[in-house]
Amino acid sequence: MSKSLLGKFLFVLMLASMLLIAACNSDEGSDTPDDGGEDNTEDTTDDGSDDGSEDDGESSDDKKEEDTDGLYSIEDFSTSTSNDGELIDGGEITYGLVSDTAFEGTLNWNFYSGNPDAMVIQWFDESLLTYDENYTITSDGAAEYEVNEEESSITFTIRDNVNWHDGEPVTAEDWKFAYEVISHPDYQGPRGSTVGFTLLEGMQDYRDGNADTISGIVVEDEKTITFNYERLTPSLLTGGIWGYPLAKHIFGDMAVADMASSDAVRQNPIGFGPYKVDSITPGESVTYVKNEDYWRGEPNLDKVTLKVISSSTVANALETGEVDLVDSFPVDQFPDNSNMEGIEWLGDIDLAYTYIGFKLGDWNKEESRVNYKPDEMKMGDVELRRAMWYAVDNNAVGEKFYNGLRWAGTTLIAPSHPAYHDDSIEVPTYDPEKAKQILDDAGYKDTDGDGFRETPDGEPLEINFAAMSGGDVAEPLAQYYLQQWQAVGLNVGLLDGRLLEFNTFYDRVGNGGNDDPAVDVYMGAWGVGYDVDPSGLYGPTAMFNFPRYESEENTELLEKGLSDEAFDTEYRQQVYSDWQKLMVEEIPVFPTLYRSVLIPVNERIANYDISVGSGVYLYELGVTSQD
Amino acid sequence: MSQKQTQGDIEKAVKEQQEEKQEQKSPSGFRIFWREILKDKLALVSLIFFVLITVVVFGASEILDKAEVTRVDPFNIYQPPSDEFLLGTDQGGRDIFGQLMIGTRNSLAIGFLVTLLSGIIGVVFGVVSGYFGGHIDNALMRVVDFFMVLPFIMLVIVFVAIVPKYSIWTFSLIMTAFLWMGIARLIRSKALQEKELDYAQASRTLGSSHTKIIFKQVLPNITSLIVVTMTLNLAANIGIESGLSFLGFGFPKDTPSLGTLLSYTTNPITLEERWWIWLPAAVLILLLMLSVRNVGEALKRAADARQRRA
Repeated sequence: MSKSLLGKFLFVLMLASMLLIAACNSDEGSDTPDDGGEDNTEDTTDDGSDDGSEDDGESSDDKKEEDTDGLYSIEDFSTSTSNDGELIDGGEITYGLVSDTAFEGTLNWNFYSGNPDAMVIQWFDESLLTYDENYTITSDGAAEYEVNEEESSITFTIRDNVNWHDGEPVTAEDWKFAYEVISHPDYQGPRGSTVGFTLLEGMQDYRDGNADTISGIVVEDEKTITFNYERLTPSLLTGGIWGYPLAKHIFGDMAVADMASSDAVRQNPIGFGPYKVDSITPGESVTYVKNEDYWRGEPNLDKVTLKVISSSTVANALETGEVDLVDSFPVDQFPDNSNMEGIEWLGDIDLAYTYIGFKLGDWNKEESRVNYKPDEMKMGDVELRRAMWYAVDNNAVGEKFYNGLRWAGTTLIAPSHPAYHDDSIEVPTYDPEKAKQILDDAGYKDTDGDGFRETPDGEPLEINFAAMSGGDVAEPLAQYYLQQWQAVGLNVGLLDGRLLEFNTFYDRVGNGGNDDPAVDVYMGAWGVGYDVDPSGLYGPTAMFNFPRYESEENTELLEKGLSDEAFDTEYRQQVYSDWQKLMVEEIPVFPTLYRSVLIPVNERIANYDISVGSGVYLYELGVTSQD
Repeated sequence: MSQKQTQGDIEKAVKEQQEEKQEQKSPSGFRIFWREILKDKLALVSLIFFVLITVVVFGASEILDKAEVTRVDPFNIYQPPSDEFLLGTDQGGRDIFGQLMIGTRNSLAIGFLVTLLSGIIGVVFGVVSGYFGGHIDNALMRVVDFFMVLPFIMLVIVFVAIVPKYSIWTFSLIMTAFLWMGIARLIRSKALQEKELDYAQASRTLGSSHTKIIFKQVLPNITSLIVVTMTLNLAANIGIESGLSFLGFGFPKDTPSLGTLLSYTTNPITLEERWWIWLPAAVLILLLMLSVRNVGEALKRAADARQRRA
């Protein structure tokens, strides 16, 4: 998924599914996150593997000693490779696309839908926009920008030397064309819902067919384009604007409905990125050769081979050197592979969190908004929800189940957004006695002597907990939460007595608007976009607002975060800090774990950085030895 | 008068003969089984092993507290075997030994139940079909054919998804629904032969009811076949349960069975390095199926005079 969509279109994630999580922060191989605030330790300390000299061939399986406590911390990981050797000319690498299915092969930013395709596209095409570590547009990319606040418009100038692989220049017309195609009624892809589209002047007329062009997009000259918006919001600069042009000289004559299945998308995809597609074996592999005319400069590698590799064999493939670099790595396999020879581990905080949600209403289909009715729902009492937060030991879960690579969450804006994550907020932490106390005070007492508490009205309270299957840890983790709630006297049971498969789970939780009334509590995960705005998840009209929570204060804060005034970062920080506090008080959901991303890289690879805004771009990637 | 008397005499004679036969045949049938097993040392060891395991797991799982065994303990994840945990722990910090005991109990219980239920249905179906023949046979065999063409695994998956909470009983019933056809066909073919034999014909001529002939005369004569088939089926059924649980369509993960323990091997690291989680279960499945099979083979030889060793 591309960044602009992420703001709104958030992925529902399997607890342990690194594949989907990876979708969220990897849309642009070239600019990847560097979490501003936290750490910038240059050396990788405890992932071993960097003290051996050259690593060729010898695969002695000596295990290095683990850390004393077997725990890891994401702060000990660097986001960039430490290799500072001399790059060799004509290097080649193999890039592993970790996926258990084939990639679909819709190879154009404007049409693709799955993350595996995005991993293929990032090598040969890129956005005109680049982002800094706070996920705000910079002028370092292929286009420079200027905001005109009086006219609510933003003007971009594409650099002169930015050319498509076939030598044609990338023009303002191409960019406008992308907007027209995506907003066309025949367009089938998932784009077009972000503020970059919806706030454009004349967008509604174009969509309704009353206009042939979008009046809000003005092509000033070959390389300059101005977007006129109804109003400005900070979300525009943090992922709202669609930054991928569509080559008009190739797609211009095609019917919009046919584009996604055309040769120019499927077989001979075109872009202006550092590498060109050489050949494609559908669903399995792609070979790229360098694009010598790349606008930033000539890439260091001659050839890149991408191949699909299954998540269960990826560790072996890295160890044998079959792949040098991968797009993602299952975090739960890290402790067993941390000492792998010849591999350097890069790590960063993931743009995601795991959470436990409470159903407080259902979806009103007619009005397309949530139907918040806490009085009718079992979980409607905030004290009950608060007690359930106090009852769970997320620190133990993070340390024991994930070796510290996931850690207890506090607020609903993860530390992956360091500017907005407010770590000064006090949140409930594991304290079963306090949980019992809260329940006692709120009137939840065991009146019939069955060992479980009844509601204040004396009704038996049976709570159904829905959790997803997937990964080895899913099942014991769900059981662990159940145990802890049972330990404070709440009769919580697994919905249907088992874990639900990914799609079934989200269907029942309410992905299609058909909330299953049997679900009371559920455990899910969100991958969040570059844009910190949470209204796509907790706004009153958001389908993804699975708890179906709504309050005036919440709506007001969410709107404030998107207002003109929010261009002032301090103001916006205050708004989101208030919002995080509100969520800790109201607890429609509570975060359980923050997560990390780990990427193993062969030691011969240099100039690679997995963070956003690092200033290290994909064309600089190189190798320091032949194999 | 004299005719009646003769008929009475004959009936009496036949009855006596039958009684004699029964007295001799059924005990001697089991004696033959027993002799054959004693003679075949492998079968004897297998039988002792199987009985021992059965007694131990059923006994142990009475003592063990299931809630305690399946309690997740994040502070003891992936412990190798030690004094505290005889066979180590799994990724939820749960004791493998306890799970193995309860799991084997569950797997065996399902094996027994499925064998018994499918045996009963199959035998009744087969005998009725074979004995009556003609239209009844035709109709019943079409029913069998219908069940045989159903895709077993697919339907089990669907059932497992539909039934919200399943226990040993529901799971056994689901499996039984698709496993009785083989035995029905086998018994039918045997019943077809038996009913043509003189004793059955004679009994019919003398006016015995069908029920009586089927259950008192034909059935005892095919007991050995039933015993042998069901024993061999038992081995297969234990395997099928483990297979389904391994694929995730058997018991849910929090109900241990041999299959769920085996399914931990889908994690390659567990397969390579944490042998204590899955190896005992794998060995146990192998040994259980082999021993049941050894006994079954011995019984099979005993049931067929030409193959007998004793």
